Amino acid sequence: MTQLFNWFRRRSLERGLDRELQYHFDRRVADLAAAGIPEPEARRRVAVELGLAQVREEVRDLWLTRWLRDLLYDLRFSARSFLRSPGFTATTLLSLALGIGATTAIYSLVDQVILHALPVREPERLVLVDWNGDDLITGAFGSFNLMPYPICRDLQQQTRFLDGVLCRAEIQVNLTAGGDPRPVAAEIVSGTYFPVLGVGPALGRVIEPEDDASPGAGPVVVLSYDFWQAQFGGAADIVGRKVLIGNHPMTVIGVAAAGFRGVDVGAVPAFWIPTSMYADANLATNEDLLNSPTRWLQILARLRPDVTPAQAQAGLQPWFKAWLQDSMLRPGFPMISADRRRDYLASTLEITSAPQGHSPLRRSLSQPLWLLFAATGVLLGLACLNVAGLFLARGSARGREIGTRLALGASRGRIGRQLLADSLLLAAAGGVLGIALAPPAMRALIVFLPRDLAANALRPSLSLDLLGFALATSLAAGLLSGLAPALHAGRDNIVNSLRERGGAGFGGVRLRKTIVTLQVAFSLILLIGAALFLRTLTGLLAKGPGFDTSSLLSFAIAPLQNGYSRADASRLVRRLDEQIRALPAARSSAAARFAFLDGGAWSNKVTIQTDRRTVSDRAVNFNAVSPGFFATLGVRVLAGRDFDQSDSRPPGETGPRCAIVNQAFVKRYLAGRDPLGVRIARGGGGTDVKPNSPIVGVVADMSYRGLRDNSEQVFFPLFEGEDAGATFYVKLRGAPEQAIPSIRRLVRQDDPRLPILWFRTLDDQVNRSLNTERMLAALSGSFGALALLLSLIGLYGVMSFVVTRRTREIGIRLALGATRASALRLVLRDAVAMIAVGIATALPCVAALGKLVQSQLFGVTATDPATVATAALILAAGALAAAFIPAWRASNVNPTDALRLE
Amino acid sequence: MPSPRFPIPQGTLDMLILQILSLKAAHGYGIAQRLEQISRSVVRVNEGSLYPALHRLQQKGWLRGEWKQSETGREAKFYSLTPAGRRQLAVEKDSWARLSGAVNLIFEEGSR
Repeated sequence: MTQLFNWFRRRSLERGLDRELQYHFDRRVADLAAAGIPEPEARRRVAVELGLAQVREEVRDLWLTRWLRDLLYDLRFSARSFLRSPGFTATTLLSLALGIGATTAIYSLVDQVILHALPVREPERLVLVDWNGDDLITGAFGSFNLMPYPICRDLQQQTRFLDGVLCRAEIQVNLTAGGDPRPVAAEIVSGTYFPVLGVGPALGRVIEPEDDASPGAGPVVVLSYDFWQAQFGGAADIVGRKVLIGNHPMTVIGVAAAGFRGVDVGAVPAFWIPTSMYADANLATNEDLLNSPTRWLQILARLRPDVTPAQAQAGLQPWFKAWLQDSMLRPGFPMISADRRRDYLASTLEITSAPQGHSPLRRSLSQPLWLLFAATGVLLGLACLNVAGLFLARGSARGREIGTRLALGASRGRIGRQLLADSLLLAAAGGVLGIALAPPAMRALIVFLPRDLAANALRPSLSLDLLGFALATSLAAGLLSGLAPALHAGRDNIVNSLRERGGAGFGGVRLRKTIVTLQVAFSLILLIGAALFLRTLTGLLAKGPGFDTSSLLSFAIAPLQNGYSRADASRLVRRLDEQIRALPAARSSAAARFAFLDGGAWSNKVTIQTDRRTVSDRAVNFNAVSPGFFATLGVRVLAGRDFDQSDSRPPGETGPRCAIVNQAFVKRYLAGRDPLGVRIARGGGGTDVKPNSPIVGVVADMSYRGLRDNSEQVFFPLFEGEDAGATFYVKLRGAPEQAIPSIRRLVRQDDPRLPILWFRTLDDQVNRSLNTERMLAALSGSFGALALLLSLIGLYGVMSFVVTRRTREIGIRLALGATRASALRLVLRDAVAMIAVGIATALPCVAALGKLVQSQLFGVTATDPATVATAALILAAGALAAAFIPAWRASNVNPTDALRLE
Repeated sequence: MPSPRFPIPQGTLDMLILQILSLKAAHGYGIAQRLEQISRSVVRVNEGSLYPALHRLQQKGWLRGEWKQSETGREAKFYSLTPAGRRQLAVEKDSWARLSGAVNLIFEEGSR
C-alpha cells in the first residue's frame, strides 16, 4: 500500500534523495580538498566511493518493488500506445465491454434468483424438510414441498438434529388499511419463523411462538419493511394500528428488518400473520388446519451446527415412521385401502440444504438462466478470442518496434509482460465499461421475466458481489486475450523481423487461424441454440392454447378473501355469471373455478369405474366450469354434451353430478371404449372414493397450466355445491376497454368492497405464459447474431492479413499465367478449411449440449437436422462472404505492382 | 583500491546505524563519519550501502527523517530514532550479545 502511494509521490522522493546525496558528495569533496587532494581528483574519488547510480537504483527498489514499478511503467506505456490507435482501442473495448456487460447482467439474475442466500442468520444451516412418497392420500393445496402443520409442531422436539423448525405458506388476502380493500400477497407463518431465521424487527416486534400457541391466539400482523415504506410512508406510529385482513381486524405489531423479503424469491410477502389465524386467511378449506393431515405448508428447519443434511435425514427416519403410524389414528385421516396404507407408511422424510429458502420459481427459471449464463460465457470467450486476434494483428504491426527492443537487449519475458499489461489494461477498461452497461442490460432482461417476480424480487442494481464478479471476469478475459499474443511475442527471429518491411512481420498466422476456427465453432453453437429457441417459440405460438383467444377477456374475484361465507360466495358467482351474460358488450360468458394459463392447476388422481375399478397412473388436472364455458372459449365438444343448468347443485349440497373429460384423457384411460356414461371420481385408491359422476361429454384438448401442457383433464360443473371464487371468461363484442368499465360497475353494484383481482385479455395471457420462451429466443438470438458478427470480423481480419502476406506470391503466380479464378480459389481454400474445421468442432459439442436444453424445447429436438443444417449454412455463407472480399482483392492484384512491392 | 580494513559483516550495518542514532540525530554524511570513528577505523563501511540502509530503516518505521540546518549552514536530512526503532535496537543488541557469547563459548571450548 505504501508502495503504491510511493508511486504517486515518486518525483518528490527522487528530489529528496538527490539533495541528500548531493550534500554527502559536497561534504566529502570539501573534506578531501581540505586534506590536500586537488578538487577534480577528489570529485572523481567520491563518485567512485558512492556509486551514485547504483545507490539510486537500490533506494528506488526500496520505495517500490521492482516488478510493481515495471508493471506501472508498462501500464503507462500501454495507455499511451492505446491512445495513439483509437480505432483498435475502441473495437477491442467494445467487444470486451459487451461480453462482460452481458455476462454480468445474466449473472446478477442467476445470483438473485438461484444463488443468493437468504439475508438471515447463518443461512447455510437451513434445510427444506419434504415428504418423499405417496403424497396424494391426505389432500393438499398450494404448490411444491407441501407438509401438514402437525409435522412442523412435532419436529420441534427433535433437538438432536435440529435447532428449530418453521413452516410457512403463501396466501393471498384482501387488506384494508384506510381506503378500499386490496388483494395483497402475504405469508402465514409459524411462531418459530422469525426466531429460527434470526430475523428481528426494524420497529416494534416480530411474530413470536405465543402468537401461535392456539387457534386465534394472535390477531397480529408484521409488515415487511418495503411494504411499510411504500404503503404507510414509513409512518413511525404504525405499531398498534388496526388493519382488516379480509374482514377480520388485526393489530400491526411491528415491521420486519429491512432487506428481509420472506423465504421465497418468487413470492415476496407484504406482511406476515401467524398460523394460528389460518381461519382468517381464507384458505380454501373449512378443516382444522393445525391438526388435520392436510398438507399446505413448506417446512424449513435449522440444523444443529455439527449436523449435515444427510445425517439429519437418516437420523429422523425412525421418528417419522412412528409419526406416520400415529397420524393414521388421528381424526381427519381418510379411510384408505391396505395397499394405500402400505404406500403411505413407506413415505420418508427428505432433507435438503436450502440456504436460499424455498422457491418453486427457482425450479422453473434456474435452467433457462443457467443456459443463458452459459451462452454469455461463450459470447465472452468469443469476444476474448476476437481481442486476441486483434492483438496478434497489432503485434505484427508492432513487429519492428518489438524487434528493435529485443535487439537492444530487452528479454522476451519483458516484452511478453508488456503485451500482457496491454491486455490487462484493456480488460480493466472493458470491465468498467461492461459494469456501466450491466444495469440497463439487467433492466432489459427483467422485462422478459414473469411480471410478479420482476416487480417485487429483482433489482437491476450492482452489488459488491457483482462488482467482484465483473472484475474477476474482466481479469480472466484480459489474461485469456493477452496470453496467446504475449507467449507468441519474440518467438520470431530478431534479424528477420528487423529486415522485414513494416506491417508484414510477426506472423502468428497459424495461431490466428486457430483462433478464427474456434470462433466459428463457438458462434455455430450459439446460432444453433438461437435457432432451436426461435423454433420453440414460433412452434408454441402456432400451436396456441387450443382455443380462440381473440376478444376473450378474463377477470377474477375472490369473495372468500373478503369474508364471504362459502354459500354467499357461491350465490355471488352465480348472480354475476348471469348478469355478465346479459351485458350488451358480452357475446357470451362463463366462469371457471381456476384460471387457465396461470401456471397452477387443481389436480389429483382419478378413480375410473368401467367393468373394473382403475386409478389413473398420474395426477389429472381438474377444473370446474359453468354451462357454456366450452362454447365461449370455442373448444369443440367432440361427443356427448356440455353442462347445463340441471347439472348444478343448489348451495348446501356438494359433490359433482357429472363430468366432462378431454380427448387426452380418453386416449390414455378409456381407449377403445365409449367414454360416455363411464363413472369417475376425484382421488385415487381410498375406499371412501366413490366413482359416481358419469362422463357426459368429451371435449377437444386445451392448454391448462401453460401452452406446453397437453395433460389429461376432467371438468366438473362449476356449481356442484358451495363453489367459491371464480375466474370469468367473457367473449366480447367490442374492445376490452369498453367492456371493462361496465363489468366493474356490475361487480361494484353487487358489493362495492369486493375488488376485482385482475383483468386480462387471453391474448395477453398467452403472451405472458411464454415469457421464458420469449426470453430464451430473444437473448439467444441476439447472442447468436453478435457471435456471428464477431467471428466474421475475425475471419475477415485474418484473411486480409493472409492476403497481404501472400500478395507477392499471388503476383508471381498471376505473372506466370495463373488465372484470377485460380488465385481466388487459392485464397478461399484457406477460409473454407477454417470454416469446415470450425463446424466439425461445433457439431459434437451441440450433440453433447443438446441434452441440457431439450427440456426447454417444444416441437423440435436439440439435434434437429434441419435446424442444425440451416444454422451451419447461414454461418458458412456469412463466413465465405467475409473471406471473399480479401480473396477478390488478391485475385485482382496487378502482377507488376505486386512484384514491385519488395 | 582494496582496503586494509575488513568489510562490515552482513546485517550488522543496520544495528550500527540504530546505535549511532540512539545517541544523537545525524545526517547521512555524519553517520558515515561517526561509523568510522566509533569503529576506530577497523570497519570499512561501503558508503554506497549506507543510503539504501537508511531508506530501508525509514520505510520500516524505525527512523524518521527531517530536513534541518546542518553545521555548515546548508540543509541536510537528519535521521533520528522512532520509539519503534529504539525497541528494535534493544532487540538487536540482545540477540547480538547472545550470538557473540555463544560463538565465544565455542571458540574457548575448541582452544582448551
